[in-house]
Parts: sequence; C-alpha cells; structure tokens
Amino acid sequence: MSAAIRTRGLEKVYRSQGHETRALAGVDLEVPSGAIYGLIGRNGAGKTTFIRITSTQLLPTAGEVTVLDHDALRDPRSVRSRIAVIPQESRPLYFLSVDELVYLYLKLRGMPSEEAHARTDRVLQELDLTSRRKLLVSRLSGGMRRRAMVAMVLASDAEVLYLDEPTTGLDPIARREVWAAIQRASREKRTVLLTTHYLDEAEALSARLALIENGRRLLEGSPAEIRSRIPRPFRVTVRGVLGRAELEPYGEVTTIEGGFLVFAREADARELTLMALQRGAPVAMAPASLEDVFLQMVGRPLDEGSESSGEASE
Amino acid sequence: MTERHRLRSLWTLAFMNGVVPMRTQPLYLLSTIASPLSFLFVISVLSQGSPNHGAYILYAIVGGFVLTIMSVGTGLQTDLTHYKQDLKFQELVVASPVEAPTYIAGLALSEFIYAMPGLGVFVILWLLNFGVPNVESTLTLLGCLTLVWAFASALSFTLATYFADVRETFVFSPLISLGLTVLPPIYYSARILPSWAQPLVFLSPTTYAADLLHRAFGLDQLGPYLLPAWADWLALLAFAGALFALAAAKAQWRET
Repeated sequence: MSAAIRTRGLEKVYRSQGHETRALAGVDLEVPSGAIYGLIGRNGAGKTTFIRITSTQLLPTAGEVTVLDHDALRDPRSVRSRIAVIPQESRPLYFLSVDELVYLYLKLRGMPSEEAHARTDRVLQELDLTSRRKLLVSRLSGGMRRRAMVAMVLASDAEVLYLDEPTTGLDPIARREVWAAIQRASREKRTVLLTTHYLDEAEALSARLALIENGRRLLEGSPAEIRSRIPRPFRVTVRGVLGRAELEPYGEVTTIEGGFLVFAREADARELTLMALQRGAPVAMAPASLEDVFLQMVGRPLDEGSESSGEASE
Repeated sequence: MTERHRLRSLWTLAFMNGVVPMRTQPLYLLSTIASPLSFLFVISVLSQGSPNHGAYILYAIVGGFVLTIMSVGTGLQTDLTHYKQDLKFQELVVASPVEAPTYIAGLALSEFIYAMPGLGVFVILWLLNFGVPNVESTLTLLGCLTLVWAFASALSFTLATYFADVRETFVFSPLISLGLTVLPPIYYSARILPSWAQPLVFLSPTTYAADLLHRAFGLDQLGPYLLPAWADWLALLAFAGALFALAAAKAQWRET
C-alpha cells in the first residue's frame, strides 16, 4: 500500500520571546493510502503540530513532507486541493444554519451547487443531523457543533482528511455515529489521519497507530502490534482472596476497587489466572488495552521496550 | 484552481460573511449606522434655525456615507481575528483549495455587502432632502466609497496580522474611527481649523474622499489647501495601494 502522507526527519521548534519549544524532534512517519491512521499522545506531545505541518498550515524547522506524492513544503497548492481539515478546538460559524455550514464549505472549495447540495443531504443524514439542518449553529449544543464540523470535511471530495480530535465533547452515541461516518470515508478509499484522546476510539478506528511523546514517535504499528511491543501485554484482574505479595512475582501490580490489576507477560498471565482459579478467586484475563499500553509507555518513566529515550524538550 | 472556481469561492465567502448575517443577525446591521445616524441627529438638532442648516445636513449625510463604509471596513479586522484565533476557520480554509487572495477579497467584499443596508439609509435620506443627484456626483460618491472601503480593508488586514486576541480589535476600532472619521474634515470644513492644524488633515485618507464629496455636492472644501480632484483620487489610490502592499508583506497564509 502506498503512503498518502510521508514525513522524514520532521522537526519543529517554536521560538517566542527568547524561549524555544521543541514540538517535533525528527518524526519519520508513513500514513498508508486509504487507511485510518491514529496519532495518540499526551497534550503537547506534538500531534497537532504534525497535523498542521502535513496539512500545509505550518512550516517545519527541518524535514521533508510528502502528501499524495506532492512535496507539501514546496508545492502546497497541489496538496491543498486534495485535503480537508478539522482543526483542534475549531468551532463552526455560529450565524449559519447546519446545512448552510456544510453546503457553503463545499461551495468554498469550488464544488458546483448541485453536487454540494447532494453531498450535504447525504452527510447530514449519515450523522443524524437532518432534523436539525435548519437550526442556527449557535443554537446547537457543543457536541452537535462538533458533529457539524465533522460533517463539513466528510462531505468534501478531499482524498486525505485530517481530523484533530473530532469527537471531543460528543456523547457515546454521537461518537459511534461519527466513527461510522469516518469508517465509510475509509471504505471510499480516503485516507484519514486522526488524533484523539479517546484510546478506545483510536483502537476501534485505526488500522495503524503512532504514539507520539515529546515530539518523537515512540511506537508505530497496528493496535495488535503495538500491544505486543510493550513488556507486559496482558492484563489480569484478580478480586478476593489473593494478596498483593502473591501477585507481584507475575508482573506489575496496581490496586483497584476490590482487588488488583496485574500487567504481565502472556505466560505469567496464564499461570496467574490458573492459580487464581484454583484458589477460587474471581479472575479475568485479557490483552492489554491501548490505554494500558499508553499508561505503561507514557504514564511513568519509560523503561525497556521503548524506541526512543524521549529526549526532546518541551 | 480555475478562475471559475476562484470566483465561486470568492462569492461564497462574500455571501457567507456578508449576506447570511443580514438574515440571521439583522440587529447587528444597526451597529454599522449607529454612529453616523447619531452624528446626523446631533447636527440636525444643533443646526436648527441656522441659515446653513441644509449644508450642515448635507455634511452629515456625506459623513454618514464615509463613516458607514469605514466602520464595516475596519470591522473586518475583528472578523479576521475572530475567524483565525477563536473559530480556527482560517486554518480550515488554508488547508483547502482556497488561496489567500481569494480569502482576503471574499471577506473584504462581504464587508462591502454588509454595508449596503446602512448606505441605503443614507441614500434615502439624501434623496429625501436633496432630490436625485447628478451623474457626476453619484459616480464620485461610488468611487470614493470604493476606495475608502479598499483602504479600510487593507488597514484591517495589516492590523489583523498583529492581533492574537479579538479583544485587541475592540481597542483599535474606536481609535481608528476617531482618527480617520471624526477628526478629519469630513463632517466640517477644514477652513474652521486653526492654521497649524490644517496640514495635519492630509495624513488621513478620508480627508481626500471627503474633499471630493464636498466638491461634488457644493460644500465648502479644504480652504487654503484646496487640492485638484486628480490629486485627491491619486492620494486615495496611493493610501489603499500602500496598505495593501503592507498587508501582503505582513500576511502569512502558512505560519512559520
């Protein structure tokens, strides 16, 4: 599969009033064409800077960016006609109605009226916004506004969609609707670069993921590959009779309500599960979630298994 | 992007930011003519009984045209800053086929469209008070308003590049209004200023527009500093051109 977005040695240093902030520190990344690609990481990790550079809004300090085989730094015009972006913390123009917001965005991109109307109707239906189409955006809840923003870019004819935290503020049902629309976009062979703080979302949607920390790519791969690359890729929840001291030989133990959570290697996890069952303790074993991976890799000092030392300064 | 696409994008921006708000936020339209109507009211009351009452009203109407177009033109700085900093709309546009000149021209045109109802009020007042003007006066009015709009838009683009928060524009708008519409001799003849102050009026581009309009409508002009009409036009063009050049040099479509 060819790469829709490719970066090599991407660096960005913000300089302001004598202060330097290194947002990206040499990121190499390839986003496969037609796939949903998730970027995850903490606030300030460099995800939005990555999106802003590759979507031609911001120049990097160093590095190369290719989007759809065009040099995005030297030839941004060729890229811009084929991409669409929902910026982080963006808000829709509040004096427009929902259908005007989508329709006029498509017209703004140069789309003929008839096609713009048809695409507007379709996306409003997909995102369950039809009944609110004539409402002014200013009358919508925060979640509905975000959904209207998502509708704008999904309705476009762009081949690469950059969605910077598209479901922030949405309720669980609305999130699923947005997910479904994003997945439909992917089935239409469009590439989606997604940042999110919801790791279940990243896991559910993304064919591949990159974990960004301190401006560096810490891990990259499919969700399963990423899980397999952490030192303790299984989680065992044990409740009842077993004490902490009995569990510690199997892995990393965390206290939870009514019991313990143990992150362990597969063999240790199986052994612990059997032991707990023999002792009559309620036990559950499962692969570590992406959130577990995130916490293991980022939530505390990095240890073995990391690809980089996270030297970049913030 | 073809020329047809560019025109479609330009008109969409003008429609989106100029026509739609008239329908969805009609009360905001009043703000564009609140100041010029206030001036008209005060001048009308104070000049009652004066033998020059008609001339004073004409000054107020001419001033109303200039003040209205300056008001929406400089209001563009608020829209630009709000769209960039608060709504992130500019980011959304940058990462699209729309090019910077189309964005700038579309938003500037939207402000001109948004000024139309306010200008219409002053056209009606003009017709009611003085009847139908001749073609030359009408063309002078249209030309002056166009150049003042161009100048005000360019000024807004330049200023907007400096603002990081929309509240900063709330500080500058009244100052610009004071410096470019109230102090210059738009509502009065420069002849009544002290002699030391009279040369200062040429620092404001609106002085040249007012001079042309005062001339076209038979009002007292700039006194000892009377300029030929071509010099007024040239000055207006120069101000608009210089500010557009400055705005183009300062503007960053893609941030660094």
